[in-house]
Amino acid sequence: MKIIDLQARCDHVPFFRFLGVSIKEVDDKHIMAHMPFTDRLMGNPVLKTYHGGVIASFMEAIASLCVLDDTNAPPAKPINLTVDYLRPGFAGILTTRATITKKGRRMASVETVAWLENEEKPIAKGLFHFLLV
Amino acid sequence: MSTIEDQERYALIAQQWSKRPKGLIAEMGIHVEKADPDSVLIRMPHNPDFCLDEEGTLLHGGVLTALLDSAFGLATFLNVPDMQTMATLDLRVDYLRPAQSRADVMVYAKCYRTTRHVAFNSGKIWFDAGNKEEVAHGAAAFALTRGKDNLLDFIKKADTK
Repeated sequence: MKIIDLQARCDHVPFFRFLGVSIKEVDDKHIMAHMPFTDRLMGNPVLKTYHGGVIASFMEAIASLCVLDDTNAPPAKPINLTVDYLRPGFAGILTTRATITKKGRRMASVETVAWLENEEKPIAKGLFHFLLV
Repeated sequence: MSTIEDQERYALIAQQWSKRPKGLIAEMGIHVEKADPDSVLIRMPHNPDFCLDEEGTLLHGGVLTALLDSAFGLATFLNVPDMQTMATLDLRVDYLRPAQSRADVMVYAKCYRTTRHVAFNSGKIWFDAGNKEEVAHGAAAFALTRGKDNLLDFIKKADTK
């Protein structure tokens, strides 16, 4: 999958436009993407942090793209997810990398990690399952 | 039995929460239908911006996750009177059915157990139409700090300014 095609696909999804997803790196097992902070993604106005649900949504969005065979493939169906919140998600560019743990014929398991400036200090990690049929 | 003072407290918290001028909660246009000491019922109007398709009928799963996270946060807040700060520790969501509808989204969240440091929540989502089958089910744990300067007093103070 090419970055430019994936980005075009993202730009056609209303919710991905709402999040402001921008694809940065793509290979067979990974996708890395950025999301800039905007007020409408804010959870805590006092601390100015991302809403926890937005962090999970962003990771899910990138994870769901990661399992596609090609950019025109029908969307994968999400089965469930688990997110660990590790540090406060203060305003800034949020980066996430999704990695396929296992992709079978029917199901796929994807791991994600999200960080602000330092990849060594992730703010959240996620585990997502998708139905591919 | 909750006292009148308690009732006022729940109403105030719920009102403050929906009144936020900025952020995702404002964006979602959430309305708190019911706020009890241990549970909340929330309504979110249909929003095409949160959909996967340009026709705006299929909600992205992440929106349901965000709704559950918000509802769990509110339920925990109502349950812990001396709350100083709270942070989501983890969140688990099962997507039971495709979220395909133009009806309002309903969220029920219950804070079923709190300890000094942790609050446990569970909740569900359905559309306010048809047979109201559950679309998603979720659970979350929150890390709490309790103290004298509680969050509600802080909000009240900010409100009177």
